[in-house]
Amino acid sequence: MFRSRSWFGGPWGGRPKNRLSLDHLKYLYSILEKNTTVSESNRGLLVESLRCIAEILIWGDQHDSLVFDFFLEKNMLSYFLHIMRQKSGGSSFVCVQLLQTLNILFENIRNETSLYYLLSNNHVNSIMVHKFDFSDEDVMGYYILFLKTLSLKLNTHTIHFFYNEHTNDFPLYTEAIKFFNHPESMVRIAVRTISLNVYKVQNSSMLRFIRDKTAAPYFSNLVWFIGKHILELDTCVRTDIDHQSNQKLSNLVAEHLDHLHYLSDILLLDIKDLNAVLTEHLLHKLFVPLYIFSLTPTPPPPSLALVTQNLAAVLNRNVDIDIQEMHNPRVSSIVALYLLSLVFLVVSHAPLVHALAWVILNGDHGVFKDGAAEILNSYVEHREVVVPGFGEPNESLEQALDTVTGQCSASSYALSEDSGVESSSPATTEVETQAEVDAAKKLRNITDEEKELLQKTSGSGKADFGELAKPFLDTVLHALECTENDYLALLSLCLIYAMSHNRGIKNEWFEQVLSKSTRGSFSYKTAIIEHLLNIITQSSQPSCRIRLITVEIALELLVTFTKPSSDEARCITTGQQDLLFSARNQSMLVLRNFYKSEDIFLDLFEDEYNEMKKAQLNVEFLCMDSTILLPPTGTPLTGINFTRRLPCGEVEKARRAIRVYFLLRRTCQKFLNERESLLPLTNVVTLVQVDNTLDLNNSDLIACTVVAKDNSKQRRFLVIDALQLILVEPDAKLLGWGVAKFVGFLQDVEVQGDKDDSRCLHITVHRGGVTHNRTPLLSAKFLFDDHIRCMAAKQRLTKGRSKARQKKMYQIAQLIEIPGQMDSPVYAVGGTTAVPSGSSSSGSSSRSGHHRPIFSTANRVPGFAAVLRSNNSAGVSRTQMAQNRSIEGIRNESAGRSRRRSPNTSSGTTLRSDHLDRDRSPSVSVGSHSSSQSRENSQPRSSGNRSRESSPRLPRPRSEEIPMEDFQHSRNNSPHSRGNGSPASRSHTPSRVLQYEISVHSGSPREPSLVASNALLSQLNSVSLAREVLPVQSSEETSFIGTDATDGGRGSDSSRRKGAIETV
Amino acid sequence: MSYAYLFKYIIIGDTGVGKSCLLLQFTDKRFQPVHDLTIGVEFGARMITIDGKQIKLQIWDTAGQEAFRSITRSYYRGAAGALLVYDITRRETFNHLTTWLEDARQHSNSNMVIMLIGNKSDLDSRREVKKEEGEAFAREHGLVFMETSARTAANVEEAFINTAKEIYEKIQEGVFDINNEANGIKIGQQHSPTNPSLPGSGGAAGAANSGCC
Repeated sequence: MFRSRSWFGGPWGGRPKNRLSLDHLKYLYSILEKNTTVSESNRGLLVESLRCIAEILIWGDQHDSLVFDFFLEKNMLSYFLHIMRQKSGGSSFVCVQLLQTLNILFENIRNETSLYYLLSNNHVNSIMVHKFDFSDEDVMGYYILFLKTLSLKLNTHTIHFFYNEHTNDFPLYTEAIKFFNHPESMVRIAVRTISLNVYKVQNSSMLRFIRDKTAAPYFSNLVWFIGKHILELDTCVRTDIDHQSNQKLSNLVAEHLDHLHYLSDILLLDIKDLNAVLTEHLLHKLFVPLYIFSLTPTPPPPSLALVTQNLAAVLNRNVDIDIQEMHNPRVSSIVALYLLSLVFLVVSHAPLVHALAWVILNGDHGVFKDGAAEILNSYVEHREVVVPGFGEPNESLEQALDTVTGQCSASSYALSEDSGVESSSPATTEVETQAEVDAAKKLRNITDEEKELLQKTSGSGKADFGELAKPFLDTVLHALECTENDYLALLSLCLIYAMSHNRGIKNEWFEQVLSKSTRGSFSYKTAIIEHLLNIITQSSQPSCRIRLITVEIALELLVTFTKPSSDEARCITTGQQDLLFSARNQSMLVLRNFYKSEDIFLDLFEDEYNEMKKAQLNVEFLCMDSTILLPPTGTPLTGINFTRRLPCGEVEKARRAIRVYFLLRRTCQKFLNERESLLPLTNVVTLVQVDNTLDLNNSDLIACTVVAKDNSKQRRFLVIDALQLILVEPDAKLLGWGVAKFVGFLQDVEVQGDKDDSRCLHITVHRGGVTHNRTPLLSAKFLFDDHIRCMAAKQRLTKGRSKARQKKMYQIAQLIEIPGQMDSPVYAVGGTTAVPSGSSSSGSSSRSGHHRPIFSTANRVPGFAAVLRSNNSAGVSRTQMAQNRSIEGIRNESAGRSRRRSPNTSSGTTLRSDHLDRDRSPSVSVGSHSSSQSRENSQPRSSGNRSRESSPRLPRPRSEEIPMEDFQHSRNNSPHSRGNGSPASRSHTPSRVLQYEISVHSGSPREPSLVASNALLSQLNSVSLAREVLPVQSSEETSFIGTDATDGGRGSDSSRRKGAIETV
Repeated sequence: MSYAYLFKYIIIGDTGVGKSCLLLQFTDKRFQPVHDLTIGVEFGARMITIDGKQIKLQIWDTAGQEAFRSITRSYYRGAAGALLVYDITRRETFNHLTTWLEDARQHSNSNMVIMLIGNKSDLDSRREVKKEEGEAFAREHGLVFMETSARTAANVEEAFINTAKEIYEKIQEGVFDINNEANGIKIGQQHSPTNPSLPGSGGAAGAANSGCC
């Protein structure tokens, strides 16, 4: 077990054989005793001995208590000290080993008493205060690790070994924080850990020491250091207009976030006294004098100031430019807004965030002198006031800490080290100064008459400025204007968002301040809402320069700020709401321009929807992205996320248009209390899933052999549904049924013939979407029985693909109301027509009846295809029927149900739902026929000749309404159970759009939504009715299949009849 | 003392998976763990040679720093390599890998090389996580995988050195911005005064001096 150790092979006899034994330790002790002076010759030996001591001690800790006794008895730690204090050659080499031994010792020791013994004499503290050669990175590493290891051992018992109440000695802490600014990041992290571990210990006298003797110097230095870091960050932002040093900037931002999180972690420990000092320093040494100060208008450069003064002299006016203030460091307003956002996103300590929010919302230039005293006084009883000002502390931390150990009255720190540059002029004159400087700026290069004019106006302008009680809030609001781009606006939005979502700021207070304080005639809250609507309106314009993320936050904030206080209506005026809706309509118009029959549009559309669904707005994550600090750019070459930059090229413009529309649509629905019912385009619920058992009686099945890439062969039957390609295997139990083994969307199918084999097709089913370049869902060779079947399959796949796409494109067309694809004028009418909606309706309640049936007439034109059978499930099927059946059965069921329902509808009890059902029916049949039809229809309506009479009140027998699509479909498929129901259940989907579009468009949007919900309700009823009617017949099978079987039976029954009609 | 590059590593994983033992085994081969004596340390450095270049590996174990958010978020950044360690005899340490990886990916720079390590491969009789599972996890998440034993030193060298090789390759490819120290890579002062007889790090000395293996 014990290998021979060559480095011990030398002249030292008497070495015990057992490496891990008390004897060996005794032997090592003798070596230490003999080699008290480190020299070239014995260095290796000492290092090796120290290493062995560590090993034996750990072994002893776990096995033999005598080992530790011996170690303590001989006071071996003092030898350690003695060795490290020697300056002789190569001491860092020995020191590294020494520190490592100590680390091993303290890290691996398990026995509590052993630990106490080790700490009991003051050697450990002496080792800590020893000035090692910290320029050696290994010494530094082991040393800081040593402190960290010890800090992890801190608790209310062990604290007394480290902190000496009588001498005010706490080297573990004071030595550690001296490295708070060490260039090596790992060292800084360790320092933060140590300090947090120290604060965590609940020992009042220790905490008092920390507060009285070290807090002010440590925090003032920390804050100054953070401030300097920020100036560096600001320089980086200013000089990096072209996104060149992105890496550097993102590191600076990440580093700053580290600082903020560290401060937040301290504040979260909730040590009252400490937090008071830290809050004071942060506010008055950094946030107010640097961040808030940077929100004031930038003064002219010194040269210009001089010119101004001269000019003022010419004009006989006193311009009192505060040169001192001009030299105060400041950052750009971009950076200031960003940093303030970060504070509110990260820190939640109430006194701090409340005071800072107060300054922003209520403060004027006086804060540069007085700080946020008013607020802080309410939180802290005996404040040690720190005078605002951003500047370097008088003493470096090291100096300050050195004096601490001497006899320095600690409380004087707070006051004594305020060297910060303070604003000396009273607030009012400062404001005047700013105003006049601005005015003077304009005075350059103008004629004398104009000067005179300006002189007059500047007088009044000055008055205006005097009225400005909230210059910072005004700056924030002003930043929301994005006439040129949204560079500032995004950051301003982040700040408002962060403030309104901060846990430390009481929501009511925030609301109150905003709604009470006024600028001119309306409150700030109104001003914010107007600004938000302004951004939203602009974003819906075709070539706007507003990024998606800006739109998203603006919309989110709009929802937040109009949140109903109790259960009342949203706090938004009709005018404002109209603005929102017209923005939505505008965005729809923009989107229409991109609507193309090109394949990519559909993919983009679905892709964007998924993206939007996936990505929840997270402003905190957004603010970790340093790129928002740089001017907005369009090029993806910067690697900036799509939503955080402007679109580049036509495809991205289309994507943007789609996304803006989605966002606006979603928000409008929130305002209307509606639920999305038309998106996503694919109704997942009605899709066939793998392993579903399907009734394939009378379906077209094409037998084939699927040869995968790895040459594995499977015998399958190819079924082509309206949306899906399905590969089935015969069901073992039920004749004519099959189990789906593979499903893919027809829209993503790619078919290629084989040059050499006419019975063979190469079929690829992609995963869909444009941005994800993943492997296809299926890529295989399909072998058919003969040439004819192969051709048939190819034709149907190709047709199926284009039809599936057409269908979805039609859905989109309806969603965005493409003229020509549908009855566009309806919407013109809808926009002005209010729809009856029970109690809350406002007049013209009967008029809805006027235009609604027209839909029906549209469908009733002979030959026009209409969806009928599954009408009643239209609005609900996704949600209602999802639970228990997702396959075939649904369609059959709905087909069956609608038939059952038809007598009902004419009975008048469900009149409204009946209307709606019919409304829902302008159906698919894509082609010139339908569009011409719709145009025809539209004419009378646009001319206002709407009439109830034009539409038959009673539905015609449903069986007469044969959707063209279905017709074809069933001809292709030969009548079978699914062929009828399934396309119908999808093809009707787009038409539901009408319902919602109307409601969104109408002037008073709340009402239609009620109609919509009424409709939904009645549909719900009908569905549940239908369900109740359904008897569950088969009991021997699982209920799932059972119902299917039942429905299948009924469905096929109905379809057979249908089939008969069709063939007539 | 002189090196061409310094790579900073961090070691992450649940407590008790043997992170600090791995580290000590690598930096200080002189500590040969004996029967039930486990010794670890949370910092270490060692010189290795890749492609004829002296490279110093500086390894920081981050144990005990998980309590504070500010600490966790900062230590991932600033490392060029990470060893993600689990214990093959404890299933739960394997199950927690996803969380560790998420954390690492969220906070680290995107180029950080992560190596997955199944430690304690010497305890095959008590194995709870199959080697194939580790391999599958690594494949799925694009990591390099290796089973090691801090006790027998099996694969320990390879784990650290292979990671270094990958970082080195990335430098050659120009993926890593080596002028940015925040990436965990430092360029050595090639002409700094050196004392070949006295390598500054205990680890390096250990490697040179060790005659134990």
